[in-house]
Amino acid sequence: MRYELFIALRHIKARKRQTILSVAAIGIAVMILMVSQAFMAGFTQELYDKTVNNLPHVVVSPQTGDDYIHLYKNIILRVNNIDGVIASSPHLTGEASFKFKDNTKNAVLKGIIPAQEDAVAHIKKDIVKGNFDELAYSDKSIVIGQKFADDMQLELGDRVEISFPNANPMSLKVIAIYDTGTALDESITYTSLQTAQDFYDTGDVINGISLRLADFNRDREIAQMIKNDGYNAAGWSDTNPEILRTIAIESVSNNITIGFILLIASFGVVSTLNMVVMAKIKEIGILLAMGARKSNIRLIFLIESGLLGLAGALLGTAAGVVLALSIGGYPLPQGVYGLTYIPVLVRTNDVIIIITIVFLLNLIAGIYPAQRAASLDPVEAISTR
Amino acid sequence: MQQSKSSPDIIKKKRRTSTAGSGKISKKAETSTYPIVQLQNVKRIYTLGENKIYALNGVSFAIKKGDFVTIMGSSGSGKSTLLNMIGCLDLPTSGKVKVNNVDLSKLDDDGLTEIRRNNIGFIFQQFNLIPTLTALENVEIPMIFNGESPVRRRKKALAMLKKADLPLEYADHKPNEMSGGQQQRVAIARALANNPPILLADEPTGNLDTRTGHNIMELLKELNAAGTTVIVVTHDPKLEEYAHTTIRIQDGEII
Ligand SMILES: Nc1ncnc2c1ncn2[C@@H]1O[C@H](COP(=O)(O)OP(=O)(O)O)[C@@H](O)[C@H]1O
Ligand SMILES: [Mg+2]
Repeated sequence: MRYELFIALRHIKARKRQTILSVAAIGIAVMILMVSQAFMAGFTQELYDKTVNNLPHVVVSPQTGDDYIHLYKNIILRVNNIDGVIASSPHLTGEASFKFKDNTKNAVLKGIIPAQEDAVAHIKKDIVKGNFDELAYSDKSIVIGQKFADDMQLELGDRVEISFPNANPMSLKVIAIYDTGTALDESITYTSLQTAQDFYDTGDVINGISLRLADFNRDREIAQMIKNDGYNAAGWSDTNPEILRTIAIESVSNNITIGFILLIASFGVVSTLNMVVMAKIKEIGILLAMGARKSNIRLIFLIESGLLGLAGALLGTAAGVVLALSIGGYPLPQGVYGLTYIPVLVRTNDVIIIITIVFLLNLIAGIYPAQRAASLDPVEAISTR
Repeated sequence: MQQSKSSPDIIKKKRRTSTAGSGKISKKAETSTYPIVQLQNVKRIYTLGENKIYALNGVSFAIKKGDFVTIMGSSGSGKSTLLNMIGCLDLPTSGKVKVNNVDLSKLDDDGLTEIRRNNIGFIFQQFNLIPTLTALENVEIPMIFNGESPVRRRKKALAMLKKADLPLEYADHKPNEMSGGQQQRVAIARALANNPPILLADEPTGNLDTRTGHNIMELLKELNAAGTTVIVVTHDPKLEEYAHTTIRIQDGEII
């Protein structure tokens, strides 16, 4: 191995221009790969942060045929004991008609236990006015979205009238306003669980439990465990399939592009190596006459392609990481996908996987030229000019 | 399979006994009766489309260990073909070649490499040094494939360059920085690297002036005197005077 490495290094050193060209070809392909991988990861991360991170990962709903979950303390204890569930929030959710001055609007009224809902859906970080925690101790109060407030001309401290068929009409005081920048701001309002139960006149029941998981990828598995217990449950990926679909489409088209780029780069290796073999026919003949085995010759050229691939992979990823990170800090003009900068995420795993794959791909690409070199006829090879 | 695995051991043993023998002979070489190279009715036929070229057409002879042989013949008579067979670089179309009593037709590629590595040193008309390597590194090449350690390699390569009378300051020169005679000395040092019992030279003086050619032949004579079997292929009748034995070849046949 050492001897073959020695000779392979000599070849590489002796043909500087070809070496630089083929390493550059691989390097550029790898750089594009690295940058697009970083974009992909950043975009995915951003999408998860903006969506899945604020969604309940699993929602438990009443048994089929029931409108409510009675005696819900039991089921909450049970789901909290499931490994991987880190927070749970019981709620009673329904529709309500809102009226303030001459403005009316229908929206969702969600009765919650504030601390628990925040643990599941991180509402507090979106509060822009007022104090969300006040819901817990101030009776007959409500938290609304900024858009909702604008539409209804509501201000902090105003009292909004709510009513609904079969419900007990009441007036609730606006104690906080949230702003997520999404459509939720217009359609969801929060009150305490107690207030919701009074409004809908249901007694101490709920109609759903939101769960937060340590790993949101396990949503289907954990939903299934709860279903096996007799309740209905659905994971975020089933209730919001468009999120997964967006990511899947992006990554498929991304991977196809990258596959082609890598394939082209590997052809570059094959042709470079073929050129080296052509130029070294006489030398191969000499080595064979001097006692080299065919396997020695094969190894020399495999090492060469491996080294070219590794050099290209290392330089390409280095350049790619630098490029991705510098693009990543670049601020965007307002309003592009609601992003303020280009999302970029460089993951160590991606770097390792890319380097490994490119290295292996180049080794494989080197097999043909190496085999060609090893099967040269020594007499013909040595009499080549 | 079985054959090729066991053969290298046999060869190594043989080589050891032969080098032990050559040590005793020291200065005054004596030709033994042991046939180190044997050819029996060897044919080498090249097929070019419809045409068949009989490069060798039924050649038989034996070369005794310690002999200095010239194989004499005009251009195209089949000399190089013959030498490549003895050097295990080529196999006959029919007939038998034995080197150090091993029948080459029974060996696979690795078996042939093993025999070549342990028995043969090659010297060419074109020197055939690797242009990117220094003189010393060129001499190290055969030892590299023989698994010699770097330190021993370096030491032995220097010793071989000395044996081939190359001034030591040329050890780290590349081939294109040396004269033809110096390059051929490096090539001879390289051929000697693994202490082969047989040296094969294909027109070794063909690219050298008369004086340098003479010096190279004198060097081969010295090496022969020290026990190495030397086989020189040439079309130059003047080289006959250096040899103990001359084999004449014409149109692929011994005459
Ligand atoms: N690879 C080959 N293909 C076809 N013919 C060849 C080949 N090598 C040698 N020959 C022919 O075989 C004959 C002997 O060649 P060679 O052994 O090189 O002769 P010499 O070394 O005596 O000049 C020549 O006629 C030559 O043209
Ligand atoms: Mg010839």
